[in-house]
Amino acid sequence: MAPTKDTMFRSADMSLTQLYISNEIGREVVSGLGELGVMDFRDLNSETTAFQRTFTQEIRRLDNVERQLRYFHSQMDKASIPMRSIYDFNNSFTSPSATEIDELADKSGHLEERIKSLNESYETLKKREVELTEWRWVLREAGGFFDRARGQTEEIRHSLDDDDAPLLQDVEQNGQGEAAGDRSFSVMNIGFVAGVIPRERIAAFERILWRTLRGNLYMNQSEIPEPIINPENNEESSKNVFIIFAHGKEIIAKIRKISESMGADLYSVDENSELRRDQIREVNSRLSDLASVLRNTKSTLDAELTAISRNLAAWMVIIKKEKGTYQTLNKFSYDHQRKTLIAEAWAPTNSLGLIKSTLADVNDRAGLSVPTIVNQIKTTKTPPTYFKTNRFTLAFQTIIDAYGTIKYREVNPALPAIVTFPFMFAVMFGDAGHGVILLSAALAMIYFERRLQRSKLDELFSMIFYGRYIILMMGIFSIYTGLLYCDAFSKELPWFKSMWVWEKRGDGYGATRVEGHTYPFGLDYRWHETDNDLLFSNSYKMKLSILLGWCHMTFSLMWSLVNSRYFKTPIDIWGNFVPGMIFFQSIFGYLSFTIVYKWSIDWVARGVNPPSLLNMLIYMFLSPGTLEKGVEPLYPGQAAIQAILVLLALFCVPVLLFLKPFYLRWEHNKARGLGYRGIGESSRVSALDGDDDEGPHLNGNGNGRESFGDDEDGMAMITEDIGHGEEHEEFDFGEIMIHQVIHTIEFCLNCVSHTASYLRLWALSLAHQRLSIVLWDMTMKNAFGFTGIPGAIIMVVVFYMWFMLTVAVLCVMEGTSAMLHSLRLHWVEAMSKHFIGDGVPFEPFSFKVLLEEDPVE
Amino acid sequence: MANGWAPFIGLVFVVLFCVGAWFLSPKGENQTIWRSTLVLSAASMYIMWAITFLAQLHPLISPYRKDLRDPEQFNRIF
Repeated sequence: MAPTKDTMFRSADMSLTQLYISNEIGREVVSGLGELGVMDFRDLNSETTAFQRTFTQEIRRLDNVERQLRYFHSQMDKASIPMRSIYDFNNSFTSPSATEIDELADKSGHLEERIKSLNESYETLKKREVELTEWRWVLREAGGFFDRARGQTEEIRHSLDDDDAPLLQDVEQNGQGEAAGDRSFSVMNIGFVAGVIPRERIAAFERILWRTLRGNLYMNQSEIPEPIINPENNEESSKNVFIIFAHGKEIIAKIRKISESMGADLYSVDENSELRRDQIREVNSRLSDLASVLRNTKSTLDAELTAISRNLAAWMVIIKKEKGTYQTLNKFSYDHQRKTLIAEAWAPTNSLGLIKSTLADVNDRAGLSVPTIVNQIKTTKTPPTYFKTNRFTLAFQTIIDAYGTIKYREVNPALPAIVTFPFMFAVMFGDAGHGVILLSAALAMIYFERRLQRSKLDELFSMIFYGRYIILMMGIFSIYTGLLYCDAFSKELPWFKSMWVWEKRGDGYGATRVEGHTYPFGLDYRWHETDNDLLFSNSYKMKLSILLGWCHMTFSLMWSLVNSRYFKTPIDIWGNFVPGMIFFQSIFGYLSFTIVYKWSIDWVARGVNPPSLLNMLIYMFLSPGTLEKGVEPLYPGQAAIQAILVLLALFCVPVLLFLKPFYLRWEHNKARGLGYRGIGESSRVSALDGDDDEGPHLNGNGNGRESFGDDEDGMAMITEDIGHGEEHEEFDFGEIMIHQVIHTIEFCLNCVSHTASYLRLWALSLAHQRLSIVLWDMTMKNAFGFTGIPGAIIMVVVFYMWFMLTVAVLCVMEGTSAMLHSLRLHWVEAMSKHFIGDGVPFEPFSFKVLLEEDPVE
Repeated sequence: MANGWAPFIGLVFVVLFCVGAWFLSPKGENQTIWRSTLVLSAASMYIMWAITFLAQLHPLISPYRKDLRDPEQFNRIF
């Protein structure tokens, strides 16, 4: 067979292919096909759960490796070591061998252990360091208290003996009064607790202590000037050193408990200043030891991570591909005895040659004598819809696909939309200046395409970047329509000789026509800033919208003819397209004709008042056969022609309504009369059914999964479990009739409402023009009123304001709204005329897609 | 008026352009896109130009304004 070239006009021609792959090279074959990315593998094991599939073990193993790689990545983030970018590799990720994958898995396992142990020791050391630092602070601060308190035991004693002392304290004190003379706390039976507590808890801590001990304590605290870093989460916190004196073992124990529950860390401090000095010295030396160990550990860890960072991106890509490969392999059916994998996939017919050569390559490399067999299967199943897109067409195809998946081999609305979508936009956005801004934005994005594609963009900008070629077309057409509207930043462009000459008339100025001269391109600039320009431009833009709408809808309706010719359904031509077209043309085609006709007649020269077209259309339906009273006819015989057109339109309605259903019924009855029956009407043919609920398999190979041909006698295996999606609808006349009634009503009403809907072209272009005029008048026009140096300063400021507002409001906001309206005109007004759209999207197994969906940084 | 022939002359040019675009589009897998885009652009741009031209061919109203300072000078400048 000689497949025709695939174009964007119709989706690519697809074939269902069957692959018989030797088990040994299954992985290599699939990864080779993944690089190609043109095969949409069907799931042949849809009845088995994910856990029962053949390659679940491998996928789990790869999941684990992936997790380890992610762990490395997070560790690198923590240590702020950058990963070598994916783009720095010379794209050498082509399918690694199985042993390489094994090595990688082992390696990442080892590395994970190593990193983990390094991390653990680092964290323990860090914790130790923090403890030591805190202890040092406690020693230092508490030492201060002690030194101060040492000379004052007498006073303390006194105060304890005071009569004001609380009752209980007094009672407790009784037994100890005699020993108080000694100059030591321990002898006074005063114990103390020292430690460190987060600063924000200090108030609560004090309050709780005060309440539970009823004031029987002496607390001293001081702030640690530098923040303490928690090694577990790297958070800084400021802490206070406290030391609490109290007497009685129970009270001390109580204080200990309270402080521990408040999250304080307690440290032992010796009372003796000599000992304390030793302690401090010891702590200091331990700290410095620790710091050097820490530095070593950290540098080892960093070195380890840096080494990993060089290859991490490549590993991630490799593992992702490997996982995708196994997930695809899981879709294959698997013959244990014969060691053959059987796969079914949709592939573009044009790519079959490429697929075959890839398979041969893989076979050669593996040095296998058994070739991989590619079979094409004839099937009744609907093939998936696939359009090969490029940078330019991708965005246009996406906006059409957003509405619905195009039916297989149907006319692709995206192809004309490349022009009509930006053009409709430009009709609403007609301003050459704003068009230039759009165009330069698009050109900048296209110029820096590669760089922008690689950098991380935020959501909004990446959306704009995605549509850069749409914006390019929008910009070009906006400049064109802006020139036609004679608007550049709301100012006129006097490029040709005007057809009007000003002269004094009454209290103002009127224009007289230069005889025989019509402004050659676009609107005459002398309409700008006149008192009646809206009168003229409204009439012009309204008619422009109707005419463009008529063109666009007729154009779209024609595609339904192309579709029904392609799908060989002549009844759709005679039952839908022809009556629909006649209906549409006899009303709105006629309206368009009269608009152009009225323009082409020189009514002033004739000395006749031109008839109103709006009234004409109304009278055409209200009283067919007669014209509005007291109004000149547009042309002789107008009344008769209008009556005929209305009758023609009315006649088309029953044709539209009945022809197709009755034809289908006739056809069905004829087929039944000849003895044909629909499949499934009486008995089901089992091959198309789900396999497991069948009786014994046709060829007796009862492995419960597939019905395999048992040898090489050329008998194709039937692995198509096509029966799942396929239902042979029974003929139901009522349903078809209802469907057609809906279609008829919808079509006739839509002709009216859609034509009216195109008036949005007028409304939006009017709004856009008025808004830019208002913006100019409010800013720049006022700024021109000043002169001299203040005038210059004001001008600069106002100019920036005007320009920012132009970009933000007129280009971005207005542009978005015009784009949405243009989108609607395509989705609703145009596509409803021909779009069938019950296709299945083509989802090829492709590493490229896989990596795009889940990018590696 | 000879002016009235302008849309037809324009049509001839656009048709010639479309024929040229059809046959001179770069060969290869993007030929369809080239052809469709060029032809459709030319057609839609022509339609809009022709509509604008026709709308002014026999205008029913003429511009009017009150604030013109010096119509003679205005006529000379523009």
